[in-house]
Amino acid sequence: MTLSSLSMRNAKRQARDYLVYFVTMVMTAALMYSFNGLVFSQEMLNLGKMMEVLPMVVTIASIVVVCIIAWLVQYTTNFMLSRRSRELGTYILIGLENKQVAKMFFRENLIVGGAALIPGLLLGNLLYQGLRALVLSLFGKPFSFTLGFSPKALALTLCYFLLIYLMAQRKSRKRIRSMKIYDLIYFERKNEEAVIQKSSNRKKLSIISIVLGVIGTLLIMAGDLTLGLIGAGLIIAFLYGFFASFASSVPAYFEKHSEKKYQGQTLIVFRSLSAKLAAMGVVMATIALLFTATQISEGAGLIFRAMFESRYEQNSCFDLMISSGTPQEEAMAKGVEFAKERISEEYSREYNIYFREETQNTDVIGSYIAKKGDYYRYYKMDTLMKFSDYAALRKLLGYSEVTLEPGKYLIHCQPYIARILKDWSQTVEAGGSSLEFGGIYTERFAQYLWCVNGHGYILIVPDEIAEASVFSHRVYAAKTPEPMDGFYGELKEQISAVLRAKDYEDHNVDLFLYSRAEDEKETASEIATIVFPLYYLALALTMTAATILTIQQLSEADRYRRQFNLLQKLGMDREDMEKALRKQFAFFYTLPALPSLLISIPFLLNMCGAADSGSLVGASHPLILLGITFALFFFIYAIYIFMAYSTMKRNVLP
Amino acid sequence: MLKVENIEKYYGSANNVTKALDRISFDVADGEFIAIMGSSGSGKTTLLNCISTIDTVSAGKILLDGVDISDLSPKELARFRRERLGFVFQDFNLLDTLTIEENIGLALSLTYTNPRSVQKQVQAMAQKLGITDILNKFPYQVSGGQKQRAACARAMVAGQSLLLADEPTGALDSKASKNLLEILTRMNRDMGGTILMVTHDAYSASYASRVLFLKDGRIFNELLRGNRERTDSYHEILNVLAMMGGDISDVI
Ligand SMILES: Nc1ncnc2c1ncn2[C@@H]1O[C@H](COP(=O)(O)OP(=O)(O)OP(=O)(O)O)[C@@H](O)[C@H]1O
Ligand SMILES: [Mg+2]
Repeated sequence: MTLSSLSMRNAKRQARDYLVYFVTMVMTAALMYSFNGLVFSQEMLNLGKMMEVLPMVVTIASIVVVCIIAWLVQYTTNFMLSRRSRELGTYILIGLENKQVAKMFFRENLIVGGAALIPGLLLGNLLYQGLRALVLSLFGKPFSFTLGFSPKALALTLCYFLLIYLMAQRKSRKRIRSMKIYDLIYFERKNEEAVIQKSSNRKKLSIISIVLGVIGTLLIMAGDLTLGLIGAGLIIAFLYGFFASFASSVPAYFEKHSEKKYQGQTLIVFRSLSAKLAAMGVVMATIALLFTATQISEGAGLIFRAMFESRYEQNSCFDLMISSGTPQEEAMAKGVEFAKERISEEYSREYNIYFREETQNTDVIGSYIAKKGDYYRYYKMDTLMKFSDYAALRKLLGYSEVTLEPGKYLIHCQPYIARILKDWSQTVEAGGSSLEFGGIYTERFAQYLWCVNGHGYILIVPDEIAEASVFSHRVYAAKTPEPMDGFYGELKEQISAVLRAKDYEDHNVDLFLYSRAEDEKETASEIATIVFPLYYLALALTMTAATILTIQQLSEADRYRRQFNLLQKLGMDREDMEKALRKQFAFFYTLPALPSLLISIPFLLNMCGAADSGSLVGASHPLILLGITFALFFFIYAIYIFMAYSTMKRNVLP
Repeated sequence: MLKVENIEKYYGSANNVTKALDRISFDVADGEFIAIMGSSGSGKTTLLNCISTIDTVSAGKILLDGVDISDLSPKELARFRRERLGFVFQDFNLLDTLTIEENIGLALSLTYTNPRSVQKQVQAMAQKLGITDILNKFPYQVSGGQKQRAACARAMVAGQSLLLADEPTGALDSKASKNLLEILTRMNRDMGGTILMVTHDAYSASYASRVLFLKDGRIFNELLRGNRERTDSYHEILNVLAMMGGDISDVI
């Protein structure tokens, strides 16, 4: 019998053990193919200008994913190696060379990996269609299912796959080649080897690692990229150091307090966990790291998405805005003229925004808001709008009618500012008279980001008061009943013609142009290029963590089964056995989750804090976003734990 | 203390039945050391499993101190096993993940002994069996004979009165076997433990005060040692085995 036919038969026979490995490879292929499909899709690139960066972003994410998954595959291969060590040892025992056995093992993995590629690519194509549908719906485009493989995506996936595979196999090959028969045959018997023996070193290590963890978290929260990277490095060091010292401090604790371990099920729980304590420290830290990264990419994805969407929504009340601070700006005049040809009078309004006074730092309200809450004083002067313009705009936008009594003013602001202003009732000087406070309105009013109708707030005053104030900028705003395809392009062309004729450099022109349709596209592009890769990463990380945990449990199952079998013979109550198993599970699954929370919560909160104030409100309040992130994470985790526990209970308890 | 009455045990489905035990009856008195011999497949392990409540009988009764064990609930059985029975098997005796000391202490922690006194009791037992110097090692770090002695320690440490052993010397060489058998004898004589030992091997059986011979699930013969020398009883056992015929070559 040749070696290759032996490998083939082995691969078939080991199918059950290889299942985890197989599933991992299938998921890897699917994940990679689907995102590579996006990279090479002309359809995606045509969606918007910003989509050009998508290939680069996905490629960067892919490199990270390749590294993670290469490690995962190596881990899985190692698991297979330990599962089969006795068998491989027997081959060497009966006279095969290590080299031959390594080759055989390599070939087996190749067969399984290759077999996984086909279902993986099929699944990947489906996943790609799902992604396509998502992106298209973001852009408001219709989706139709198309089958067909992208050869480029296929080639790139194969490339990544090969890379992962070679990286993973190199190590196991080296290991088999240098292994002695004894090691292979007694692979399973090996247990506890404490990493750090001396208790003083252990204490030092745990203190140092905790200090590193705190510094790392603070650095990440500082918000600077370089500092953040250093912080991330420190946190990784903290996780490994902490778990290493923790792993070896447990046996040390029980050595000192030997009476503690003979209480209840402690002995069983403690020893089952400590059986591979040294290795477990590394595994735990790795899982904690994966959890942290998963939570952060998931949360960051949610936060970015909320930010982009909120920004879009705040301004989307108008379909078109043209604005300029120069009273007789020619390009603007041309644009407005062109717009007026296409959009009838009743759907648009041209108006001025004023400043209350000419001198700087006269924003009574702005400084009040900044003092009471988080607000950036963009204009440093209170902005005003004529009541007649305001009433017309409200009508245009379909908001309810309001009245303004003589000698009074209204405030129109973003909802979060209204909360800050809830006790506001001051009288304001404007245009030479005193105006009393008349009320607050908070509908969407293009007051965010481009500050067309004031930054966050604007005062609505009687027309004559506004006219007696200082001019700030002129605005043309329109809201059309139907979408106007192609209009924006033509408008831009008109304006550029003026600019070219006057030999302007674009940035010298005091002109602001907004189109809701364009902004919508841009937002969709941002979500597709920033949020999706983050979810991609989160998905790959979740998969990795779940696989590692499964392998951990699987590799323990035999040991657990033997253990509970003997315990039953020795007369342990079944309830006590269940209790012991539950405790083992509780420890095993909470240990890596806790430190990940400690890191990801401050990180994500800090990230929310960096967002513009007023952008994360209502359903996208930071606490709600964090809540969703962790609810999602722990929901999946809980399902996973429950499934693992019930399978384990069925399989190992006699 | 132990009374076995007409027990039967069948394995398999309706059309393919193996009769592993066939109307077996015998009594065990307090403080006896009984060996059960028989060729491979004669039902020794099955008998021991039924007595140790790991398996159930198909018919008949097993009374321990007057209690019919088939009347007990699983919970009571578990309690019964941990308080009254001690086990020594040929293999899979000890938990790999526990040290020798912890393996012995396990029996005490299962009976909810005060955790503070566990270590002392384990130490005392280990002293008697000469395994104090390996207490902190893991099973894979000690020899087969040492493992079996640790199993003996565990089987008696919680005050269990009946020690059940299935081929305890099966994997040991003659020196280690002799050592273990002497320990069993001492546990029987000095600590008052009742021992029921299954064995293939005439030499091991010769340490017992009574030997039961099984053939095809039935008791074929019974030997009492009385006051005879161990060597005499050894030869007598060999004679009985020869009389049983067949596979004598594989039992010596
Ligand atoms: N779980 C089982 N299912 C079916 N038949 C069984 C089972 N266990 C034992 N047997 C059968 O019952 C008979 C007695 O088996 P037992 O294990 O008691 O023999 P033994 O005397 O211990 O043999 P050995 O000396 O080889 O250990 C055998 O014929 C065996 O095949
Ligand atoms: Mg047997």
